[in-house]
Amino acid sequence: MSYAYLFKYIIIGDTGVGKSCLLLQFTDKRFQPVHDLTIGVEFGARMITIDNKPIKLQIWDTAGQESFRSITRSYYRGAAGALLVYDITRRETFNHLASWLEDARQHANANMTIMLIGNKCDLAHRRAVSTEEGEQFAKENGLIFMEASAKTAQNVEEAFISTAATIYKKIQDGVFDVSNESYGIKVGYGGIPGPSGGRDGSTSQAGGCCS
Amino acid sequence: MHEADIHDLSDDADYAASQQQGSRSISRCSSDKRSEPSGAEVVFLKDNVAIHPTQYASERIRGRLRLIKQGACLFMTWIPYKEIGSGGGAFGHSDARLSDKDRNLYSIRAVPVTDIRSIRRHNPTLGWQYVIVVLSSGLAFPPLYFYNGGVREFLATLKQHAVLVRSADDANLFLLNDFQDPLQRSLSSLELPRAVSVASTSTSESSSSSSVSSERPDDGRSYSEYQKHRQKSNDPARDLSIQVLEKFSLVTKFARETTSHIFREIHSDNLNTNDRKNQAPIVSNSNNDVDNSGLESASTESFVAADPIEFDKMTLVWGKPRQPPLGTEEWVTFLDAEGRILDSKDLRKRIFYGGVEHQLRKEIWKILLGYHDYDSTYAEREYLSSMKKVEYKALKRQWKSISVAQAKKFTKFRERKALIDKDVVRTDRSVTFYDGDDNPNVMLLRDVLLTYSFYNFDLGYCQGMSDLLSPILFVMEDESEAFWCFVALMERLGPNFNRDQSGMHSQLFALSMLVELLDKPLHNYFKQKDCLNYFFCFRWVLIQFKREFHYEQILRMWEVVWTHYLSEHLHLYACVAILKKHRKKIMGEEMDFDTLLKFINDLSGHIDLDATLRDAEALCVCAGENGAALIPPGTPPSLPLESNLLYSQQDEL
Repeated sequence: MSYAYLFKYIIIGDTGVGKSCLLLQFTDKRFQPVHDLTIGVEFGARMITIDNKPIKLQIWDTAGQESFRSITRSYYRGAAGALLVYDITRRETFNHLASWLEDARQHANANMTIMLIGNKCDLAHRRAVSTEEGEQFAKENGLIFMEASAKTAQNVEEAFISTAATIYKKIQDGVFDVSNESYGIKVGYGGIPGPSGGRDGSTSQAGGCCS
Repeated sequence: MHEADIHDLSDDADYAASQQQGSRSISRCSSDKRSEPSGAEVVFLKDNVAIHPTQYASERIRGRLRLIKQGACLFMTWIPYKEIGSGGGAFGHSDARLSDKDRNLYSIRAVPVTDIRSIRRHNPTLGWQYVIVVLSSGLAFPPLYFYNGGVREFLATLKQHAVLVRSADDANLFLLNDFQDPLQRSLSSLELPRAVSVASTSTSESSSSSSVSSERPDDGRSYSEYQKHRQKSNDPARDLSIQVLEKFSLVTKFARETTSHIFREIHSDNLNTNDRKNQAPIVSNSNNDVDNSGLESASTESFVAADPIEFDKMTLVWGKPRQPPLGTEEWVTFLDAEGRILDSKDLRKRIFYGGVEHQLRKEIWKILLGYHDYDSTYAEREYLSSMKKVEYKALKRQWKSISVAQAKKFTKFRERKALIDKDVVRTDRSVTFYDGDDNPNVMLLRDVLLTYSFYNFDLGYCQGMSDLLSPILFVMEDESEAFWCFVALMERLGPNFNRDQSGMHSQLFALSMLVELLDKPLHNYFKQKDCLNYFFCFRWVLIQFKREFHYEQILRMWEVVWTHYLSEHLHLYACVAILKKHRKKIMGEEMDFDTLLKFINDLSGHIDLDATLRDAEALCVCAGENGAALIPPGTPPSLPLESNLLYSQQDEL
């Protein structure tokens, strides 16, 4: 599959906040509440189109448990984007954001684009973290913010794609030296695509599934 | 040739054809050899090429060596002759001989010549010329003795069809597929540390002094130059062949021992079927030409996954067929009247090679895991189980009795319970035993894990534990028994879950040492790519390959690993085996850490268990004491040196 760029994403956050479900919803457009817990890391991929250019997202879905932090840190290397996820129904997952952010700042590229996601927004009746608090945290730390639901698919597409759009803009602005792969960006062979976009035939914002 | 040695080659039409002039088969055979453009062609054939599995002359195995060209590919095969009278044991000497089944274990079935790294020629004063073929995986075939000469012809034929160059350092060493790649050129993967106790120097001396008289190198070098080379290779630490031979003697002795045991147990019917199946492809080569299917079925024992070619590349060198699992009838033969295991090593060995039938797992796993002792009687085991049931109930009551009010003031408990609750519903739910809503087995999983986190409060609960417990509960079908088996397993694997990851780091470190020993080029590659932390093997090691195999297979893998028969660390050799199997792809595609991690992850569900176990066994034997010495004492699953240091962690949960 040819692409203009490949972006490496990493999904981080406490265990059970719905990282794997967000990934599955994005790559396969389905919600599967019963899946095996993640040990180490799992991978997903999908093609999207931004500015008429096919972009492949390679997404690393990491294990959330504290014990695996030292392993998880080795996955940050060369990530262009990160989705930092908490569960709006569990306060402690929000409280731990600072430590996740610290890990990310320390082990990832300084220009990594971070999207903060308050997941499970379909469970509004059990909400333990307000939207405003999420917004506030994001603002203080320079993150993009969205509340989303892997179950209903609300904002899932948007979260992944607007992160990509931000990275894409940084490339256009010359923030990255794309020839240096440590920024988590690879220039593909389809680097100068025609107006038809990617081979998955999608010309809309979101391309088809490609894993 | 003695009368008793006359070969029954009735199953080898090619041979029969050459013997029976004018028969119908000869015309077929010779037309075969005229080689149709798309077909296969035997470009070299030498009879009476033998291997010597032991020092006993009666156990030498003669066979036929062939080079077969098919399209652009050249394959090497060596198939032992069938010995008259060996099957029925009617001959007085038959017990001193190897059975056909044993002999067939040494068959070399269609190895692509592209997989061969080097061939070393030996010219001993006394005895026959022989060659040692070393594969690019680093493993070597047993020496092939040319009873009727023909080594030069063999090498010359190879040279016609493949890139064969004489080593600059050693006139008797021929490198294949040597494309000036420093990794390829190095033979270092076989160079064990100097500490290896090398076979007595007299061996190398005798072979060196002999070489001159029997055969001079064919490139017309001067005698003195040649001598110099011989002297150089006299250095025992440098002499690869001696090390190979030494390792080989180990392996053959071991293989002989185990295989004769294996085949003692199997019904002859089974054997014949297996035998035919193993032999058929090769035998049919001579009947129907070497067709694709023949070659494929001969070399493709392994599972075909994403890249079938890659999966086929590594041919098993001392690969012994796995045995059928231990069944009830045979199991009782390991027990005395009261249920004690007569010879625990014998039992562990049997399970190592075949695992156990499912209905026996409940009984045998308790013993393998150390919950029940090998020398306990039926009555003692039953008594222990009943006592432990009471103890389990008491442990479980510790958390069961925590009231809602108490729990409110017990954050650690609440969090631990919440985490376990979250994880048990994400553990093996696709397995029937755990599927569906409100499955009581999921609740049992939860209860056992929570009870364990009280039994071992310092270690607590960590993700991965549910993966380890799930098959145990599935097998035991009993809460208390599953708990105590899990306790026994965690005595060894607990450190995998230490907060500081010390147990994992020590295993990954040991793994890197083993790869360095068994595949130096691959080690150097990982080093160059900054991958020596071996994090890409993290999941393999953490939960003992649980996520890499199907449920049924993991039960088999674990019981084999738990025997600790050859090593407590067979799982690490299994890691090496899988990495070696894919070494060409890994290095060829220049995988970096990210790519490698993804590649390894994607192998899940596509790893051939039997092949992996056989390779792990071969590597373990190959590494021998040197391998064992590289694994620091106390590396899990070895028991910790000081158990009080085991769980020193500040659990935040």
